[in-house]
Amino acid sequence: MNITLLLQQILNGLAIGGVYAIFALGYTLVFSILRIINFAHGAVFTLGAYFTYVLIGSRFGFNGVLANLAVPISLPFPVALLLGAILAGLCSVVVERLAFRPLRARGADPLLTLVSSLGVAVAIVNLIQYLVGAEIYTFPARILGGLPVAINFGSDTRPVPVRTVQIIIFAVSMVIVVLLTYLINGTNVGRALRAVSEDATTASLLGINTDRLILLTFFLSGFLGGIAGTLVGMSVSIAGPYFGIAFGLKGLAVIVLGGLGDIPGAVLAGFIIGLAESFVPAQYVAYKDAVAFALLFIMLLVRPQGLLGRAVVQKV
Amino acid sequence: MAALYNNGFLLISMILAAMLALSLYLPLMAGQLSLASPGFYALGGYTAAIMSTRFFSPTGGAFPVPYVLAEMAVAGVVCGVVAIVVGIPALRLRGIYLALATIAFVEILRVLSLNLEATGGAVGIFGIPQPFAARIEYLWIAGPLLLLSMFLIYRLERIRTGRAFAAIREDELAAAAMGIDPTYNKVLAFTLGAILAGVVGALSAHVLNTWNARQGTFDNSINYLAYVLIGGSRTFIGPVVGGMTLTALPELLRAVADVGGLPVWLAEFLRNGRLIIFGVLIALGTIFFPQGMVTPELFEGRRRRRRVEPAGAGRTRDSAKP
Repeated sequence: MNITLLLQQILNGLAIGGVYAIFALGYTLVFSILRIINFAHGAVFTLGAYFTYVLIGSRFGFNGVLANLAVPISLPFPVALLLGAILAGLCSVVVERLAFRPLRARGADPLLTLVSSLGVAVAIVNLIQYLVGAEIYTFPARILGGLPVAINFGSDTRPVPVRTVQIIIFAVSMVIVVLLTYLINGTNVGRALRAVSEDATTASLLGINTDRLILLTFFLSGFLGGIAGTLVGMSVSIAGPYFGIAFGLKGLAVIVLGGLGDIPGAVLAGFIIGLAESFVPAQYVAYKDAVAFALLFIMLLVRPQGLLGRAVVQKV
Repeated sequence: MAALYNNGFLLISMILAAMLALSLYLPLMAGQLSLASPGFYALGGYTAAIMSTRFFSPTGGAFPVPYVLAEMAVAGVVCGVVAIVVGIPALRLRGIYLALATIAFVEILRVLSLNLEATGGAVGIFGIPQPFAARIEYLWIAGPLLLLSMFLIYRLERIRTGRAFAAIREDELAAAAMGIDPTYNKVLAFTLGAILAGVVGALSAHVLNTWNARQGTFDNSINYLAYVLIGGSRTFIGPVVGGMTLTALPELLRAVADVGGLPVWLAEFLRNGRLIIFGVLIALGTIFFPQGMVTPELFEGRRRRRRVEPAGAGRTRDSAKP
């Protein structure tokens, strides 16, 4: 492997790793507060991609109830990305109200919440399919038109290009990680979030409005999921309503590797899995999707507390 | 209604779903939330698919039923061995961690089966020979198999092993202190579930006539979990009822749409959007029936008459603890 190819693989890995990281941050935020995995997160990811796709003024395909609907608005991509993510965040809040709050109010088994969030995920995914069909949607090339051309490593005869999209993805994910880290560590809201994740009962006794904080967490989680959805949709294409399910499973691998509920761990793990996948040798590329799960399995057996975690003492 | 049953396919699917739900219920008896069933289901199906298309060469006519039974036995053995190998390390984990490890196991198997030559890659294995002329005749195998597995689980709950499972489910540390070996019992419960899933997979491969990587996916893990939790996780009747109802539900919605007399948009929605309703019903089911549809209390009256203490007592707390 020569140096330019190596560099290209590293950039590939960092770009996809960045997306894994922000997607997994959405999972891990909810887990750190509620100790429950929100299985509807993958569906919100899909919604985010579709929202942005609509907001930039794209047309729907031939299937579904909304077939051939021309959207009257056409926003510039950065605005659409932000608005799409906000809409995804709001959907995530709705998921909380429908699938989490009724069960939490009753103090039900967390396992049931897992199933109710899955039920909502099934409903969302099939609603998308009902509305816009199971087609694959590709972001139009013009959204990247105003951007500088990809960097070219290597010589003119054997160019090793890095796609503009990958650089955008990496940049956006870095910005998100920095902003989120600031939000968690540098603001009052972040302090409250950390307090609730440490001990929800004590935090609420100390005057923290847990319900509002949970809503905020779900909004942030959906926002991050929505951005991740758009970025992945942009770098490949929106592969139908089930797009988020496979990605959601990989997100699980990321949060376990990082340590469930551990925010810096999730970012680190996202990049590790992204890089590990991009270094799978070409002849084994078909097995790429198993890398994350093999890492997950090994990690659970060796260090279930995650990369950066401390061992949890079993209380009797 | 006859058309609804589509030559018995729905009925067979319901029975198979009931058994798959039981395969998830078995580890749950010992308090272990394992989502590995689709992995073993896929493994069992591939075992049967490979055996019947490569090794047994049927000489025209119907595929002999004893061969199918032999494949089911082999699939059970294969899945049992794999379950022991995977189970011993994995069952050190608890609650959500075990669930995640089993999801990883299912996904790894799926990627392998998508890429290996023996499993036919993405296309899968097709043209699996049929022992019967009509699908409905699979009832001769599936029906007794369901009754047998229900009977065995009914017995299991009443012998020493089943009681050890229940003790571990209630409190693993206390059970260990009482001299119950948690590792042995947890691996046993996990392996029994895997064997059942594998046997069902082997039968399904014949029923479906084709087998590919889509048979063992995460979606199925979730479906089986929904069967158990919506049906009720505290008695083995629950998973059976849950599996049957939830399998029949989308088809029932379709049948309602076909009744006629409904507004066009509503019939259209019932036909194409029935999985939306399915998802909503799963969410509502967990909210309004947190214990599932079938709970041990339903049978309690009858049990009291037979013995002083109901067999279900002591297992009335939540199903799986982290």
